[in-house]
Amino acid sequence: MVIASLRAELVGLWRARALLLMMARRELAARHAGSALGVFWLYAQPLLTIAAFYLVFDVVFQMRLGSGAPTRAAGIYLIVGMVPWIAFTESTSRGMMSLLEAGGLLQKNPLPPVLFPARALMTSAVIYLPLTLLLVAAYAPLHRFSAALLLLPVLLFLTLVLWFLIAYALAILAAALRDVVQIVGFFLGVGAFLSPVLFPPAMFPQGLAWVLWLNPITPSVLGFQSLLLSGDVPGAEVWIGLACWTVALAVLLDRLVMRSREQLVDWL
Amino acid sequence: MERALSVAGLSKLYKLYDSPRARLRALLTGRQTHRPHWALKDVSFTLERGQCLAVIGDNGAGKSTLLKLVAGTLQPTAGRIDRGGQGRVTAILELGAGFHPEFSGRENLRFAGALIGLGEDEVSRLEAEIIGFAELEESIDRPVKTYSSGMAVRLAFSLVTAVEPDILIIDEALAVGDQHFQKKCIERIAAFRRNGCTILFCSHSQYHIRQLCDAAIWLDGGSVRLLGPTEMVLAGYETHVRALDAQRSASAAAVSASTRKPLEAGRRGAITSVTVTPLAGGDPPVLAGRDLTVSIAASVSGDEQPNFGVMLEQARGVGITVVATHVDGVAPRRGDDGTWTATVTFPELPLHSGEYVVSAYLADSLGMVIYDEWHQCRRFVYTSPARLPGLVTLRHVWA
Repeated sequence: MVIASLRAELVGLWRARALLLMMARRELAARHAGSALGVFWLYAQPLLTIAAFYLVFDVVFQMRLGSGAPTRAAGIYLIVGMVPWIAFTESTSRGMMSLLEAGGLLQKNPLPPVLFPARALMTSAVIYLPLTLLLVAAYAPLHRFSAALLLLPVLLFLTLVLWFLIAYALAILAAALRDVVQIVGFFLGVGAFLSPVLFPPAMFPQGLAWVLWLNPITPSVLGFQSLLLSGDVPGAEVWIGLACWTVALAVLLDRLVMRSREQLVDWL
Repeated sequence: MERALSVAGLSKLYKLYDSPRARLRALLTGRQTHRPHWALKDVSFTLERGQCLAVIGDNGAGKSTLLKLVAGTLQPTAGRIDRGGQGRVTAILELGAGFHPEFSGRENLRFAGALIGLGEDEVSRLEAEIIGFAELEESIDRPVKTYSSGMAVRLAFSLVTAVEPDILIIDEALAVGDQHFQKKCIERIAAFRRNGCTILFCSHSQYHIRQLCDAAIWLDGGSVRLLGPTEMVLAGYETHVRALDAQRSASAAAVSASTRKPLEAGRRGAITSVTVTPLAGGDPPVLAGRDLTVSIAASVSGDEQPNFGVMLEQARGVGITVVATHVDGVAPRRGDDGTWTATVTFPELPLHSGEYVVSAYLADSLGMVIYDEWHQCRRFVYTSPARLPGLVTLRHVWA
């Protein structure tokens, strides 16, 4: 059957869910081990970034976006796209490195490799999902708690599924060829410019708007902007974009898992 | 008998690519551009509950690959491994993996326990026992980064062996910690074995293999060269190693007269002298008589009564015999200064003429842990009255 290898991975992941939770908890604890403020730092960095955007764009410079933008204040607009973008870069880069970093463990313990990219995604989710709820609380008054916000959990779930597929596929590719880390690192550095994170799609040159859809973050960011900024149900292009990316990556990942299963641990 | 582990037609292919780029291309396109390297070819064996199989062979023979396949960390290319149902499989492949240096020993136990399939409540239940066995009561709440490598290894061994497995896989792990802890490790493994645990054991210590294993598998270039009772396989392998040694250097005979080591901190005992009598002059000296006598002296810390062993080999050829005090039920004597001594005599030495070499061993009270060895430390030439070809004159009767 189609994507049988991927399904087997997911079943293995479900069986090892207790271990996954344990690993995620330890990963978070390890990130602030030895620091005085502990868990505060996990949330401080993104919170400070959000505060900086607001202060710089909306308070100090009072920048305004042109027509065609869902909101006038540049800072308010930026934050909605920036939070998922930062979460995406973090979960993708950590997910991509997860297998390489787990080489020692995987060679000595019979563990399913899928645990490690899943852990990377899970730790990012633990940090950024509460921040997203904070954004909802801050933005909902803009459109008086529009009923469309009920679609937010669906959008979040689909986005996480897509990010998991990306993280695992990149982890296998990075294990096969370390150069993947450099190439993806470059993309994560400039990818925000090829997305609706910084500018509304209407501001992109007419003939080039399609380039945005080559970025897997585009459908999710457009969805968040619709829900949070204007309280509208995201358009069909958001759902179709997410579906296309998810299906394509599921098929790719299935092939990668099937072709690498027997040797993956040897490459680490 | 209950079958505990059965391996059939097990093979492992490593795909060697000319470059990582070729590997990525193969991964993306599914095209096969690799050179095949068979690390293991068609290995089959069956172990019953309580059996212990030694895995021996030269470096690169596929020993570690076999152990990792049975442990499940590597996936086989072909063949089947039946681990006898849902039994617990514990692998001691390399100890200490998975400890995070910033966390305390106690915190690390929870996580490392989860990695080997122990639930949190199980680790809590076993915690005191694990810490006690590792002798880390004082330092268990300190970060692991402050541990010595020996302490980390002790904690790891103590954890992975806290629950008695159905199948235990050991890769050269007996050389952990100081001799005192090594002794505890070996005793624990021997106890598992008595309780019916099936063991797959890879070691370079022929002594431990003989003590623990009832069967052995000799791997050569990934294939089974010999599989059978320990003694038979070891004898075949020893002959192979001697032939290799002889090939490698014609000067192998000029091996240093002794490999003695000083009594370092942490050592439980050391041989202090080995004497062969009666010797006349010459290089190597000539045995001046028909009785061969070997005396060994050693110092051992504490009040433990040690055991001695003596091995006699042809200088260029085969091993002839090993005798040991614990096997013969003899207790070494203790002198007033605390030195332990034992003397063994081979009366009417039944050997034919040739050059021979003696090795001496010092072991613990159970004859399990080797505290010291003087490998091939004394040589002598023996001239036999027998004027026939052969190695020994066996006791015989004509009808």
